[in-house]
Amino acid sequence: MIHLNNVRKFYGALEVIKGVDVTVEDGEFAVFVGPSGCGKSTLLRMIAGLEGIDSGDLVLNGTRINDVPPDKRGIAMVFQSYALYPHMTVAENIGFSLSLKKVAPAEIRRQVEEVAEILQLGELLDRRPGALSGGQRQRVAIGRAIIKKPALILFDEPLSNLDSALRVQMRAELQRLHRELSATVVYVTHDQVEAMTMADKIVVLNQGTVAQVGPPMDLYHRPDNEFVATFIGSPKMNILPVAVTRESADRAHIAGPLGMSFVLADASLSEGPARMGVRPEHIKVVDTQAAHFVAEVAIVERLGVETYLTVGSIEQPIVVRVEGDVTFRPGDRVPFAAETTACHIFSPDGRILRSAKAA
Amino acid sequence: MSVAPPGESANCVRGDLMAYATLSLISIFCAIPFFWLLIASFDGNAQLFLRWPETWTFANYLRVFAKEDGAKWLFNSLFVVGSATFLVMVLSGLGGYALSRTRAWWKLPFLYAILLIRVLPSTALVVPLYKFLLTLNNAEGALLRPIFGSATRDIMRWTGFIDGYLGLILVLATMQLPLSLWIMKTFFDGLPRDYEEAALMDGATMIQRIRRVLVPLALPGLAASGLFAFMSAWGDFLLPLILLSSPELQTLPLGLFRAFLRINEIDYGLLTALAFIYLVPAVVAFGFARRFLVQTFSGGVKG
Repeated sequence: MIHLNNVRKFYGALEVIKGVDVTVEDGEFAVFVGPSGCGKSTLLRMIAGLEGIDSGDLVLNGTRINDVPPDKRGIAMVFQSYALYPHMTVAENIGFSLSLKKVAPAEIRRQVEEVAEILQLGELLDRRPGALSGGQRQRVAIGRAIIKKPALILFDEPLSNLDSALRVQMRAELQRLHRELSATVVYVTHDQVEAMTMADKIVVLNQGTVAQVGPPMDLYHRPDNEFVATFIGSPKMNILPVAVTRESADRAHIAGPLGMSFVLADASLSEGPARMGVRPEHIKVVDTQAAHFVAEVAIVERLGVETYLTVGSIEQPIVVRVEGDVTFRPGDRVPFAAETTACHIFSPDGRILRSAKAA
Repeated sequence: MSVAPPGESANCVRGDLMAYATLSLISIFCAIPFFWLLIASFDGNAQLFLRWPETWTFANYLRVFAKEDGAKWLFNSLFVVGSATFLVMVLSGLGGYALSRTRAWWKLPFLYAILLIRVLPSTALVVPLYKFLLTLNNAEGALLRPIFGSATRDIMRWTGFIDGYLGLILVLATMQLPLSLWIMKTFFDGLPRDYEEAALMDGATMIQRIRRVLVPLALPGLAASGLFAFMSAWGDFLLPLILLSSPELQTLPLGLFRAFLRINEIDYGLLTALAFIYLVPAVVAFGFARRFLVQTFSGGVKG
């Protein structure tokens, strides 16, 4: 178990990590995700020991390891560039950490072959990294990490150098490895799809602070703030400026752009300006009588099984997901309604006021 | 291949012929001195003019090594230039690494300042340089003489700043260091930090990181910087001329020069043989380093 307790990092006077609290349980696959510059890589390097920690505690399995040197932490890291030594063979790369510890060559060979077995690298052991494909290099980099039998494996954007087909394959591969090794993993990526598909726990970071921690579907359905709401999910959640007025104790009226007007079953919202978040799949094409708003279709993107319509104005586009192939054309005026149970209401500064009721 | 109309194709052929003819002329112009050198050095009766030898002989080369001090000159040159090159490789390796990784504000001013050393003609600095080294040399002599007495001269032949190996080695290395530092700094700029950090995570000490990771990765760059240092120092004539006076310390270019200056006669056979011997190490060094050179100047290490 690794625990970060109010961890901070400064570059000069600039605070880049602003008090992060995160716990990753044993065997958990945790993904740190956020836009570039959010501090996720810095945080990972702080855990690895490649960057110092200015305040707070880093605790691995009950021991504070702030001041333990990187190689004594029991942590292995897979680098974005893989950092395989081009002058060593695959076997030498994987066994490098053991050879530094003066382990007997026969024992190194045995352990390297064991790791190669798990990673299906058997025939490649005598090649050099230059002669390997991207996916194979990736596996060698993982081999170099797991031969150390680490308590924690760190991944720094390991899939960003691969083409998209290979990336999908390696995602599955990494999940398989994680299951087989029952390793504890901290994985950094800027790609929310990677986070959603692989994580047991997602840590969304924004400007050096934790925006939200939770299982992928929690973050998807119950975001704590507008940042997480728009960061998780593709295409992005629509965010619309709305005005809330109370109709009665358990009903609130929502008025938005494009003449949007409907009533929410709600007892807690107070009157005033707010921001409404609704995902593309929660807006439906309806009959004119049931419409919350009517908008002109601007862009039609047909993907076969689903179609994305971008409707409304350029200043306030709304993306709508429609099942199957549809006959709408740009310029059509179409009536839409939002699923009222799936609407999130945020305060003007982005805090959640009302979560969606969806499962 | 595209098919050109007949007229155009004839033009093409004629253009190619012109290009090849011009290139051949230039090549011959460049190659003839070397060719003359080669055949004259094997000619028993070499002359100033290019001619086919009547008798082929090794006598000129024998004369270089038996009658003259050719072996000594060759050793001096190889030792002085080799030591300077080694020094340059070590210093530019370590310094280039530091300059690549540091974020100090003086990094760029420093890099441009050392380039200035390279740009200034060393001839302009001969007097102050000589004066400076002479002062150092006298100080060293004053220090050593009470201790070693009459053996001092023999020691000073190796460690002296004037008329000693050490002084020439240091000055030659200093002249070559700026360019080598730039080469190595640029090389390390292209070498991701990840390699070192991965080694650090694997538990490598500083010495292990340098010996097992950085040096092997930096070999192409080191070969390039070493080659430039070697070739440039090997061709240097002025500094040995000024800093060395003892006949037993003479380097090859000095031996060649003094053989040329002899009053009674000019022995073209001896001169060309000496010149040819002088050429060989540079060509050999280039042959060794060529592979690394291409790698260094066409995009660094590929993982």
